[in-house]
Amino acid sequence: MQRQSSPVTDRDSLAAVAAVDLVKVYGAGDTAVRALDGVTVGFERGRFTAIMGPSGSGKSTLMHCLAGLDTATSGQVLLGGTDLTKQPDKVLTKARRERIGFVFQSFNLLPQLTAAANITLPLDLAGRKPDTAFQDKLIGTLGLSGRLGHLPAELSGGQQQRVALARALVSRPEVVFADEPTGNLDSRSGAEVLALLRDSARELGQTIVMVTHDPGAAAYADRVVMLADGRLAGEIHQPDIAAVTDALQSLAAGR
Amino acid sequence: MNPVLRTQLAGVGKRPARLLLTGLAVLVASFVVYATVLAQQITERSVLNGLSGTPEAVDLVVQNGSIKKSDLDTISKLPGVAEAVPRTSIGVRMPAGDLVIATDPGSGPLSTVKLTEGRYPAAAGEIAVTPRTVERMALTVGSKHTVSPGGDAKPVTLTVVGVVQPRDDIGFLSYGLLPTASLAGYDWIERVDIRLDSGADATAVRQEISSRIRGESPPEVATGADTRLAEAREAAEQVDQVFIVVKVFVAVAVMAAGLIAASTFRIVFAQRMRQLALLRAVGAGRGTMARALAAEGALTGLVVGVTGVLAALAVGHLIPPALSAFGFEVSSPGFPLAEAAGTVALAVLITVVAVLAPALSAARVAPLEALRSASTTGAKQGVGRLRAVTGILLALAAAGVAYQVWTGLPKTPDDEVDAQNLLLGIVASGGLAFVALITLGPVLVRPVLTLAGWPLRRLGPVGRLAVGGVGGSARRAAAVSVVVALGVTLLTGVLVCGDSIRVLAERETIAAAPADFELKGNTGTVLNDDVAERARQSTELTRVTPYRWAAGITIGDFQDAGATDVSMTALPRLAGLDTVSGDVTDLAPGKAIIAGYLAENAGVTTGGQITLKREGKEVRLTVAAVLGGQTPLHTEALLDPSDLTKLGVPAAPTGVLADAAGAGEEGRTAGLQALRAAASAQPDISVEVLADQRDQINDALATLMVIALALIGLTVLIAIVGVGATTALSVVERVRESGLLRAVGMSRGGLHAMLTTESALYGVIGAVLGLVLGVPYAWLAVAALANDAPLTFPVWQLVAVFLVLVALTALAGVLPARRAARVSPVTALGTD
Repeated sequence: MQRQSSPVTDRDSLAAVAAVDLVKVYGAGDTAVRALDGVTVGFERGRFTAIMGPSGSGKSTLMHCLAGLDTATSGQVLLGGTDLTKQPDKVLTKARRERIGFVFQSFNLLPQLTAAANITLPLDLAGRKPDTAFQDKLIGTLGLSGRLGHLPAELSGGQQQRVALARALVSRPEVVFADEPTGNLDSRSGAEVLALLRDSARELGQTIVMVTHDPGAAAYADRVVMLADGRLAGEIHQPDIAAVTDALQSLAAGR
Repeated sequence: MNPVLRTQLAGVGKRPARLLLTGLAVLVASFVVYATVLAQQITERSVLNGLSGTPEAVDLVVQNGSIKKSDLDTISKLPGVAEAVPRTSIGVRMPAGDLVIATDPGSGPLSTVKLTEGRYPAAAGEIAVTPRTVERMALTVGSKHTVSPGGDAKPVTLTVVGVVQPRDDIGFLSYGLLPTASLAGYDWIERVDIRLDSGADATAVRQEISSRIRGESPPEVATGADTRLAEAREAAEQVDQVFIVVKVFVAVAVMAAGLIAASTFRIVFAQRMRQLALLRAVGAGRGTMARALAAEGALTGLVVGVTGVLAALAVGHLIPPALSAFGFEVSSPGFPLAEAAGTVALAVLITVVAVLAPALSAARVAPLEALRSASTTGAKQGVGRLRAVTGILLALAAAGVAYQVWTGLPKTPDDEVDAQNLLLGIVASGGLAFVALITLGPVLVRPVLTLAGWPLRRLGPVGRLAVGGVGGSARRAAAVSVVVALGVTLLTGVLVCGDSIRVLAERETIAAAPADFELKGNTGTVLNDDVAERARQSTELTRVTPYRWAAGITIGDFQDAGATDVSMTALPRLAGLDTVSGDVTDLAPGKAIIAGYLAENAGVTTGGQITLKREGKEVRLTVAAVLGGQTPLHTEALLDPSDLTKLGVPAAPTGVLADAAGAGEEGRTAGLQALRAAASAQPDISVEVLADQRDQINDALATLMVIALALIGLTVLIAIVGVGATTALSVVERVRESGLLRAVGMSRGGLHAMLTTESALYGVIGAVLGLVLGVPYAWLAVAALANDAPLTFPVWQLVAVFLVLVALTALAGVLPARRAARVSPVTALGTD
């Protein structure tokens, strides 16, 4: 167990998004499952953090709660000082639209929109004008310049995920959440996407939170947060594959 | 149990909505088919009841021969005969004119009248009169009248004991029992209506009657059904056309049902494909799978088929009482059993085929390939080359058949053409056009969407997304729109045909009945000088217009044409005459207005010259205007009085037209009496109440309107249910997409608005395609049915259809959209 992150309830802290004593219970009575059992964790601004843990550790639930996609049973989710758990759907929708970006395992592009239209979708929904210079730079960096007019069905998996990444980044949200972004990709495309995620954090100062169970993917992050049975189970700064694998093995052994 | 069947049934338990949706398509289809069958029953029975004087309960009719009173007794005593009712009538002369006394039992299934006041006659000399007769002839209940029944019979006293309502009230009609009608002393009956015992052999009774009654001219024995049809045909020539139209409608509705089923199955198909591929991947054999699916399909088909038939039956039996609340009397549809069984069988067949088809496809492709196939079916763009070629060939075939029909259209009203074949051709062409539309739909959606979507795109991201969503999945859009298009085509057809027939009937009414009353004698009779003047002085009459009428005029090849000089300006109603060319107000000395068929026969148009010859005299006139039908008062030419005089027609008027000054039935009765009084010095001339004829035509039109309303109602039902089902499925299919939109920040309201807008856009596309197809086909149908009917374009009705259908499609999307917007993004993203 290493150093505890700075007080997450502090408005002026470095945390872009934080969970405070977060509990999520599915079902009721005998069949109730505590997917999150009092998680307190902060994610620093401008950094690339990975959430890891064995299957059923609650990592996806944590991300869904942090992103305002799912409601918590108790505790707080603080996005830049706003407690998302107390907000009505309208505010959550606005937060998702303007302050949060998503990258999914199965890409989730709208099949009927072109790559370009998919990228600007969140901006369209918010009625915002895109920052053309930033958008062009992003598209260039992601290597999508020649593919903007294509429909998702005409793109490879790696290209689709890069479109999804561009969609998450284009509105410069406070946090980008990535849920197993390389799960459906071959290793080369996966490596490309991970490198792009890391570069967005380093070069653009984008806060990124990624859920993964692949130590190789986690090694791209600045920091790895370990989860087990719905609780925080340690963290690693500047991880490498070996350190992450060891930590996972000790978690598995400790059960 | 078969393991695949168990899996399927478990799946049904877990996701009942999907089975419901599979079944829903068939449910809708069987409902529509059976509802149409019932609509056909209602229509045919109502039309026959409205146009035939024979009650539906009549099994056999004995008529057209010498039938004596003793024969009636013979018939009544035959085994199998439950009731035999004589129908005969005599005329008696009364101070106010001739009165007809007809026989009727007064009650029971064979009666044609309904008692409204007093009692029904029970003895000789007692009569019940109709309401108009009470007014027109002053025959009030309780009054006694001594009349001479004609022949050598002594004068008898008639007592009015009641008032009865017949089907058609001609205004000089009374009813009684046979002894009253025999007062004239004749021993013969015009006709006997027979009701048989249930289960009696009609053929045997028929033969028995034929062998027993053998006078000098043995009467014919016909079935009640044949007699009803023959009478209806006599009353309205269009009866067969109406029945053909209804049959065509049944065919189209069956096609619509098939379309709805097909478009919903398209989505179910895609969902099944994945599931079946999975079963194949874990080792299910083809045979096992096929048997399981066939069993499941048969069960589903049976349940939903029976449900659909029962639902249709319920609606069908609710319609007559519902319509009678609005004053429209229609018949009950009964219980057509064979059709019900056929509908259920069809439902089972469709369902089995629909669930087996994806199984066969899944068996053909590699399991993994099938698993990977996109879960959304709509994302594919455009159409393949084979599909495009097929579609174009179908469209060409449709155009070819339509051209065939067009060349076969009747050219003049007297052309004998087989309307049934023409209509079948139109239906075949329409069917081909619709298959072509389904095939080419994805390509056709684009241009319509570009137009309709333009204002929406300006409305912000939700509008842009909706347009993008529809355009991006052109196949799905095409599938939903085609259902709407079919509904709009049917509605357009009914409206355009209905409007054309209405306009035609109105014009014919104007030409045939330009005023309320016509006073005239037999051909050759002229009125005394003072008749018109006396009529003018009556305060009960207005627009009194004397006219001359002459027959036996030769115009070109046309022998024995009629001509009149009735003043166009005196009777304002004549301004509405159907003018094909020219202007009816241009009539002046040296000019003529002529009937359309005369113009065609003589080969002249407006501005041309015609020569009229009569009894060696001759005039040459310029055609001022050509009418669509006849000129007023059943003539071929309308002339200036001076030209009629040049043809040697005497100056004295042959008749007088007049309108009642007062309103309603009372005004009409007062006017009639005033006109009779004006002509009292000339017993050989009589007054005809043209207004009554107009009423009859309007009644017939009202019957047609009821039919049209029923057909429109059914069509709207088909369209709504079809669009509702397809929209609901489309939303179910896209739960994942909705989840994503919510995840990237679309609000609930926004998603709701987007899905509803998409539905409305399906409606717009469908309505545009439907109007483009519907109007030309409707015109073709009008031309085939009645070539003298005008081709109208009821703009406002069509605009209303367009708006209502678009609103309904949007509404059909509201509920599914609400449901989609409520689902949490996480749940939605987790669905496959």
